[in-house]
Amino acid sequence: MSLEDLKKIPYGKTAIELKNISLAFGGVKALTDVSFDVKKGEVFAIIGPNGAGKSSMLNVINGFYKPTSGTINFAGTDRNEMEPELAAKSGIARTFQNIALFKGMSTLDNLMTGRLLKQKQNFLMQALYFGPVAKEEEEHRERVERVIDFLDLQSIRRTPVGSLPYGLQKRVELGRALAMEPEILLLDEPMAGMNVEEKQDMSRFVLTVNNELKTTIVLIEHDMGVVMDISDRIVVLDYGKKIGSGLPKEIRNNKAVIDAYLGVSDD
Amino acid sequence: MIYKETGQYKSSYKSDHAIFPLLQDKIAFSTLMFIAFLIIPFVINSYWEKAILVPFLIFSLAAIGLNILTGYCGQVSLGTGGFMAVGAFSTYKIMTSFPDMNIMIIILISGLITAAVGIIFGLPSLRIKGFYLAVATLASQFFLVWLFNKVPWFYNYSDTGQITVSERTMFGVPVTGAEAPSYATYLFCLVLVVVLSFAAKNLIRSKMGRSWMAIRDMDIAAEIIGVPPLKTKLSAFAISSFYIGVAGALYFAVFLGAIEVTESFDIMTISFPVLFMIIIGGLGSMLGSFLGAAFVVTLPIGLKFLMVDMVGLSAVTAKHFEITIWGLLMIVFLIVEPHGLARLWSIAKEKLRRWPFPY
Repeated sequence: MSLEDLKKIPYGKTAIELKNISLAFGGVKALTDVSFDVKKGEVFAIIGPNGAGKSSMLNVINGFYKPTSGTINFAGTDRNEMEPELAAKSGIARTFQNIALFKGMSTLDNLMTGRLLKQKQNFLMQALYFGPVAKEEEEHRERVERVIDFLDLQSIRRTPVGSLPYGLQKRVELGRALAMEPEILLLDEPMAGMNVEEKQDMSRFVLTVNNELKTTIVLIEHDMGVVMDISDRIVVLDYGKKIGSGLPKEIRNNKAVIDAYLGVSDD
Repeated sequence: MIYKETGQYKSSYKSDHAIFPLLQDKIAFSTLMFIAFLIIPFVINSYWEKAILVPFLIFSLAAIGLNILTGYCGQVSLGTGGFMAVGAFSTYKIMTSFPDMNIMIIILISGLITAAVGIIFGLPSLRIKGFYLAVATLASQFFLVWLFNKVPWFYNYSDTGQITVSERTMFGVPVTGAEAPSYATYLFCLVLVVVLSFAAKNLIRSKMGRSWMAIRDMDIAAEIIGVPPLKTKLSAFAISSFYIGVAGALYFAVFLGAIEVTESFDIMTISFPVLFMIIIGGLGSMLGSFLGAAFVVTLPIGLKFLMVDMVGLSAVTAKHFEITIWGLLMIVFLIVEPHGLARLWSIAKEKLRRWPFPY
């Protein structure tokens, strides 16, 4: 599996397939026998009540957690587990539910870290900082500036991200993931804690990334309005099990999903 | 209005990413370099050399080294004294084994040897963090000093256990040994400090520095974007130890001339003071490394001047007072400005920008 394999897959065909994934922490079963596939170029949403195992699912996809059983088929190759670094190299980027930015660094530097894997000069050259290194820095800076333009981050370029308001931090984190120029973007609750306007902005960004850059997006979100509007397909988890999957309109009418969210009446 | 960036437009990313992006900074830095290279060497005397300038330069280098590891990569270390001892003893061994080798090359090789030792002692950092890592590096401090004390091979089986520098020259002028003129030792240290500081600054503003800071701020997220924690932490240990090793080599060869390891590289004489330097100066700041070193080197001299020469206390009483005041200042400083002198400087710059207007 590699970035090249992933790039070769035509749009609309399966990019990641998860087969019978189970994940247990001691006696706690976070995921039980979950299977689904993500097609290249789509917006794929994972939803479910709190503690359903959505974030665990993302952590399995990018290698933070090693599944207890099951296989991950990534771009045509079967694996039992991923490694975070390998995932990054193969074109998977992600954001976190509770922002994981580098708080002491400026917005610009945070975005530049997204380019680290693509910078090839060794440290001696960096220490001398001449010719090739300066050129490489400029090239990557230019890529990062495009992301800054796209996400409207110009005014906070030099601000340490720790002092930014929450909504902007979320946007910077998306920017850092975008700076990696990923093929697959994993977004863990990108709109949590935002007001309606911020949600609209964020939805627009996500859709533009999906339309213009053709990036595959796997998304966890609690705002059903947003999920139903922007996603192509949805999978629903509850207590670590898959209880439904399909198009948004199918999910909306799915009995098991409605029960999971609204509860089942006793009579 | 004095320190304003208005009207200084950057038309390329290169000029925007320069070490001194502002004209005022460039002028200030050039003036400083002019004074350091072309005026001080002509007016320097032995007192200024031995008491202020050379120790300031050497400790700046050690502070930069520790700042790379602790300030930029977030790995606390209390082993500075031990690593400086590695630099010093490497210099001694190479010096006595190869009498014809150039002193500059000897010192750089000593730095490389220290870097290798640093990597070995950096290995625990992959598993432990924070206070626990500090304790592990403290062990390296005690182990290294013990090693240089107990294994006679390191001090060539001399009876006293001391190591003494022999005379070496650069361009025909001795820079080590008792005969070295003040301007030579000063310039020798200055050149190394300037070159290595630029190298450090370059590393910090390119890929390497961003990887370090990513690991420091949030190691989990760093891993997700493809920063390998193992390689990055060890590279910080290696480069930091290189700087500290070079500082140790200069401390022995150029500054003291003869040392006894338990005395010269003790945790109280080196490791803690260097840690204070970067805390007082500012963690994660190049300027802070220099300001901290200057503060720690000149404070005892200033206090002594104040108490013995101005007030008229006896030297011994003054020494006791000095230690007390030193501790007191440390505490006051940490409460008033925990981000160090570098932060005070950036506040001052902010004020100068607006001056004379209050807003």
